[in-house]
Amino acid sequence: MSISRRNFVIAGSVAAAGGSLVLSACSSGGGGAQGGSAASASYSKVTVGTAKDSTGPAPEVTGARKGGTLHALGPDDFSHLDPQRIYFAWNSTVANLYVRCLTGYRIAPNGSMKLVGDLATDTGTMTDGGRTWTFTLKDGLKWEDGSELTVDDVRHGIERGFASFTTEGATYVQTWLTGSTDFRSLYKGPYGGKHLDSVVTDTAKKTITFQLKTARPDLNWALAMHSYGAVPVAHDSKEKYDKDPVSCGPYRIKQHSVDKSMTLVRNTHWDPTTDPIRTAYPDSVVFEFGPEALQATDRLIADSGTDQYAVMAYSGVPAERIQKVIGTPDLQKRTVNGLLTGLYYYAINCRRIKDVKVRQALNHAWPLEQIRSIYGGPSAGDYATTVLSPDIAGRVKFDVYGKLKNPRGDTAKARSLLKAAGKLGQKIVYTYPQGGNDAYDKTKVVIVNALKEAGFDPVVKPVESTSYYDQVGQIDNTFDVMWYGWSPDWPAAYTLIQPLFDGATIADNAPNVSQLNVGWVNTAIKKDAGIADTVKQEAAWAALDKEIMAKEAPIIPETYQRRYYLYGTKVGGAQFDPLFSAFLIYKL
Amino acid sequence: MLRFVARRTLSALLILLVISALTFALFYVAPRDPARAACGKLCTPQTLALVRHNLGIDDPLPVQYWHWLTALFVGRDYTGLGRCPAPCLGYSFTNHEPVLGLITDRFPTTLSLSLGSAVVFVLFGVGTGMVAAVRQGRALDKIASSASLVGSSLQIYIVGVVAMYYLSDQWRLLPRPSDAVGFTQDPAAWFKGLLLPWLVLALIFTANYTRMTRSQLVETLAEDYVRTARAKGLGRRTVFFRYAWRGAMGPIVTILGLDLGYLLGGAIITEETFGLHGIGALSIKAVRDNDLPLLLGVVLVAATAIVVANIVVDAVYAVIDPRVRLA
Repeated sequence: MSISRRNFVIAGSVAAAGGSLVLSACSSGGGGAQGGSAASASYSKVTVGTAKDSTGPAPEVTGARKGGTLHALGPDDFSHLDPQRIYFAWNSTVANLYVRCLTGYRIAPNGSMKLVGDLATDTGTMTDGGRTWTFTLKDGLKWEDGSELTVDDVRHGIERGFASFTTEGATYVQTWLTGSTDFRSLYKGPYGGKHLDSVVTDTAKKTITFQLKTARPDLNWALAMHSYGAVPVAHDSKEKYDKDPVSCGPYRIKQHSVDKSMTLVRNTHWDPTTDPIRTAYPDSVVFEFGPEALQATDRLIADSGTDQYAVMAYSGVPAERIQKVIGTPDLQKRTVNGLLTGLYYYAINCRRIKDVKVRQALNHAWPLEQIRSIYGGPSAGDYATTVLSPDIAGRVKFDVYGKLKNPRGDTAKARSLLKAAGKLGQKIVYTYPQGGNDAYDKTKVVIVNALKEAGFDPVVKPVESTSYYDQVGQIDNTFDVMWYGWSPDWPAAYTLIQPLFDGATIADNAPNVSQLNVGWVNTAIKKDAGIADTVKQEAAWAALDKEIMAKEAPIIPETYQRRYYLYGTKVGGAQFDPLFSAFLIYKL
Repeated sequence: MLRFVARRTLSALLILLVISALTFALFYVAPRDPARAACGKLCTPQTLALVRHNLGIDDPLPVQYWHWLTALFVGRDYTGLGRCPAPCLGYSFTNHEPVLGLITDRFPTTLSLSLGSAVVFVLFGVGTGMVAAVRQGRALDKIASSASLVGSSLQIYIVGVVAMYYLSDQWRLLPRPSDAVGFTQDPAAWFKGLLLPWLVLALIFTANYTRMTRSQLVETLAEDYVRTARAKGLGRRTVFFRYAWRGAMGPIVTILGLDLGYLLGGAIITEETFGLHGIGALSIKAVRDNDLPLLLGVVLVAATAIVVANIVVDAVYAVIDPRVRLA
């Protein structure tokens, strides 16, 4: 299986990259020259837009023409269409077309992003240090049947997140509203006729107010997740809504044949003047499910028939074709690429490897260059040295273990650290998912070699890929170093550092796979999350990132992976979606 | 005959029961948890317990199996999703569609793929084998024999990809494989979409039939009863078809039955290679997604196809070979 296929599996799996919301920015053709010299890619910062930025219509794409049918080829069907059950990036690429939230991201042609009001007139008003948030709805918002989209529909979308059947979605807002991660025991969802006391709507003023138990200056970011999309109270079919969602975006679902195809056509009740994000040029969008990355790439290279109007949906150009695609000018011209939103890393089990010096030695010894060359070299991604990926707001680049200067690893330094700790010959049980991607069977060899050279005693125990996350997710597992990946849910440090390193989150199946549970880290996370001043907050997170890596070394960062997509000759306006790492379908 | 069918059907049902129980048990031997996939990214123990309850996997294993088994005969009610009428194979864990619906939706592709390729490989395989047997030892025989040796050593995932790349993408001689159009909707489009998979699948299977037909015919042509027939002065044609060919067909029918059973159960590699949506692709998905109801469903279909094929083969055998009697 190809690297990109693996990326999909990760993005589609529970444990790792989920609804990846990050802002790397690399627009059409950029960063793709000569083997995709990833180091030259520029990252743009995300900003919060004003009320003016939140008014539609979305800026025109120069030279774009209206009409036609866009085809999208992808290996798998969407796992969920009900917004409250959408978490993974793959599902979000289609949800962009029919789901709207209070806020959303407006993406400029250069890839820079602005958080703007989507259903709301702006990005919300925060009072009480971030405990109270108020949003006002725009005029002219309608559902696909022509009925008005009201604040009650927005509240309904929030309340559905508490229902017993929406277990797949995000849980941030539910937790903040109730002050408990076991929020379903406090509120059962809107079907008993009861509303949340903490979400207040005013139909006349078109306002919706959130009263949070803790200060969350980033609520407006969380609300941009499709898990918090609006759902019409009048047409909510509960479990069955997943099959037949109602659109308030530019397209509505006309036909869906499970695992085969899906056709979306224009929603005539969508008013572009209410929408600052979506341009929606094609009359219809047809998804074809089945073609694996390699097949889709070959079809787009051949560029015949409807494939001329096609894009690759979510699975990128695989390692087998990447050199051909970026080495052929005619093909390279038809690509977009960008970094995936998350971080790939090796989690060190701090419950088993208690000595920080050993964890630091692992970081020094790890052979990043050898690993990346197995993935396909620079076009596969950039070396990672920080927990925060390049696109996270406020991220500061650092390199505590000198991995950028010496990506092959410094086994001598590692050995001396081990010696100083009196741990020469330390046994290291390394694990990775086996069967999904043969690249790991290859990286295993270079990892073992490097560890032996550094004075470790490596033992490799691969786990079958379909149960991998279940096994490494167990607190009492017997692994020391575990291949892993995580992507943030919005472009702020909180959604990386908190789930991965907050000691309070340690549980079976929780993402804190390193099981780091250190007092000063836990305190810092709590403190940083409540800082209301964005600039100060970003600086605090960046400092914590470096401090965690230097003092605790709970993980070995590996790569920020890059993905290339091809599109047909008749497709215009192609752009990489820095949010969901796919095509911006609504802009084509 | 009736007794034969009744007895075999009964034993077939027993086999299917054992297979389903084994699949069920094996699924839970692996340390995997199907509930994780529906538990979101920040999964808490409470949510996980809720998902287990929603999926009906919080009951003890024998109870779960009993529910599955009874649903097959009397149907089952699912909260939120409604009634699943008998024969109910349950709802898929991942996309919450009825498993039976998913399978019946995929079956036309598998059926088209299997029967279509069988027509091609039987015609070509048996035909070439016959010619090779008649021309035994001559140039034509040698060419056919060595070509079939090459053919039988080919693999779908290589030939398929290469054929698709050159025949469809580069030279554009054949249309890209597709199962988007069913036979009943547009027979011409259906034929075009499946032509390449049929040919590639046939290329690999043909070889076996050529070799099998040739060796069987060579053997039967040397049998005493054939020599006797010749000695009695029967025409060459009569001797070949009525005596030798009929005698040689037994083992070929057996292989064909098993091959068809195997193909109908889902040609996993073929479907994946050509991006077709059949039972094979569905079974891969079931395994990858830890989707127990779907897995049980496809295993049951595959096992049924093979068991039924075996019964049919045995029945046909009796018709072809008068020495065999059903009892």
